[in-house]
Amino acid sequence: MGTNAGIGAVGRTSGDRRDSYVGTSPGMPNRAESVPAKLMDLASIIRLQNHDGGWPYRNGGSSWTEPTVFALLAQSAQPGDRQSVERGLAWLRAAQRQDGGWPPCPSVAQSTWVTAMAALLPADQLGRACHTNAINWLMEQTGKETSLAYRLRNELIGDGAGADETHRGWPFFPGAAAWVTPTAFGVLALEKARRHQAAIAVEQRILVGREFLLDRICKDGGWNYGRSNVLGVDAPSYPETTGQALLALNQVRSAKVDRALTAAQDEARACQSSEGLSWLQLGLQAHGVAAAGPARKLECRRLVDSAVSILAQAALGGRNIFLE
Amino acid sequence: MGNGITRREALAVAAGCITLTRCSMLGARSAVPRVSIVRAGYTQSIYDTVRRLLVEHRVDVRGKRVVVKPNLVEFDPGTTINTHPMLVHAAVEGFRALGAADVRIAEGPGHRRVTLDLADAAGYFETIPQFEDLFTDLNLDDVSQVLLRDPFSRLTSLYFPNTALGADLIVSLPKMKTHHWVGATLSMKNFFGLVPGGIYGWPKNVLHWAGIDECIADLHAAFPRHFAIVDGVVGMEGNGPIQGNPKPVGVLVVGGDMTAVDATCCRIMRINPSMIRYLRLAAGPSRLEEQNIRQIGEAIKNVQTPFDLIEPFQNIRL
Repeated sequence: MGTNAGIGAVGRTSGDRRDSYVGTSPGMPNRAESVPAKLMDLASIIRLQNHDGGWPYRNGGSSWTEPTVFALLAQSAQPGDRQSVERGLAWLRAAQRQDGGWPPCPSVAQSTWVTAMAALLPADQLGRACHTNAINWLMEQTGKETSLAYRLRNELIGDGAGADETHRGWPFFPGAAAWVTPTAFGVLALEKARRHQAAIAVEQRILVGREFLLDRICKDGGWNYGRSNVLGVDAPSYPETTGQALLALNQVRSAKVDRALTAAQDEARACQSSEGLSWLQLGLQAHGVAAAGPARKLECRRLVDSAVSILAQAALGGRNIFLE
Repeated sequence: MGNGITRREALAVAAGCITLTRCSMLGARSAVPRVSIVRAGYTQSIYDTVRRLLVEHRVDVRGKRVVVKPNLVEFDPGTTINTHPMLVHAAVEGFRALGAADVRIAEGPGHRRVTLDLADAAGYFETIPQFEDLFTDLNLDDVSQVLLRDPFSRLTSLYFPNTALGADLIVSLPKMKTHHWVGATLSMKNFFGLVPGGIYGWPKNVLHWAGIDECIADLHAAFPRHFAIVDGVVGMEGNGPIQGNPKPVGVLVVGGDMTAVDATCCRIMRINPSMIRYLRLAAGPSRLEEQNIRQIGEAIKNVQTPFDLIEPFQNIRL
């Protein structure tokens, strides 16, 4: 569909709001140059919109929540099509379930982690009531491994090894364990809500979610999709999850985060996917660092890759949609 | 998942989707299963080898829709983690030559969302002409809910990709690997990739909570029209399925009964198949016995290559 040429320079982004950070290389340009040589542009994304107002993962597919949210976010990063946005928002509002959450697609009778994605949209666009219900649903979710019954079972069978099960993250699917990606988006969604309406419970849940992320840092400094160590073997970090976790840890200052920023820059140089690079760029930008990508051009092959790439470019230009 | 499904929803699902039973599978496998073991390498001759094997197993796919399901797991410049693209291409060509109406390649990786990038890094774009047109990302495909009748796991239903549900034959093309949770990952475990990450996430952790072994057996039962070609040219030993070490064996293991194929692979790896829980669940112990499987081609003893096992699985050694 397009390419995301990760040819850039390490340094602060022009939109850096955190001058106190000292983890970047001195003397580097202020502006990252990781502009894709060719990208599935916003117009192409808009053209993929289904008649029902939602977007599919792939051309010709039915509408799903996640690509719909990304298409709408991309249209808030670049000037989009007002009618398209309205139709997309209407599709999302109609897809919301009674419990306040969103299913991955309307044919699925279960609210899942994509609720956090939908809650990343501005409340005044989505509708205050819709947004509040989504936040309330998110506040009720936690990984099954932190349940009292599960922890008691582990104590009884002597399986206390591994990650600390008291850190409450978010699962992809209710009734399963918490993972890095849904936890990162859960934190980001609650942060958005907090900016408009402060609440102690929301504030605390953000802190707990961030503790989960900090607990899961891999030995190499980044984030795997889950635990940092499985059966005594260190898990490697992934670019997508490392970028997402750093994004969710914006404004967090610690030695762990500093190490993660270094790891993320290393990952960006070796990254093999456009989506991975875009998440790293977004996560690093949230800490005032611009990522140098790999020498070879990375293709955007799907709508989500392309939308995330548009969001990353906007962030490198100083506007990180996730932090607004 | 089945939790919270109303009776009305269940009836609608039953009417609208395929309901699959263990009975249908058992009915189809009444004969003694045949499993071929052939020596192979990642060379041009693999195309002829696969085609010959399909003829030998009398796979009738004339006018049928075939889905070839490799194992794409991780970015790996080598040949250890992912099914080799040449074998995938050979299977596609083989089924086309046998008159299949449509042959698609489809996979839903369990950990990584960037499936096409994984496929690119694994050499699929380079090796398979028009790969992107042939490929369906099962994690992001449209889905239908399917009731699991008499499930081994706690699940009562699962959403499956329509591409998989619409196939007349699903061909499992896994790597021959050890697995740190279930001992060995072969053609049956490969069906985890039929469960959509777009619904259940990355990883498909719902399956872990419902019992990995039980879910493998459920998936095996849910897709009874299957065939297996195991990539044992270079397998993985030790801490598989990702962090293990390459293990050259130099074979393909092929057959229409996945329990028999996987049991044979286990014997080649010097693993006792009756110690693999999902095999016992799906086949029962007697069906896994060597004398109850008709071996074709190389004898097991001639290609047997002990795979290193991590400490918790030392007891499954044959």
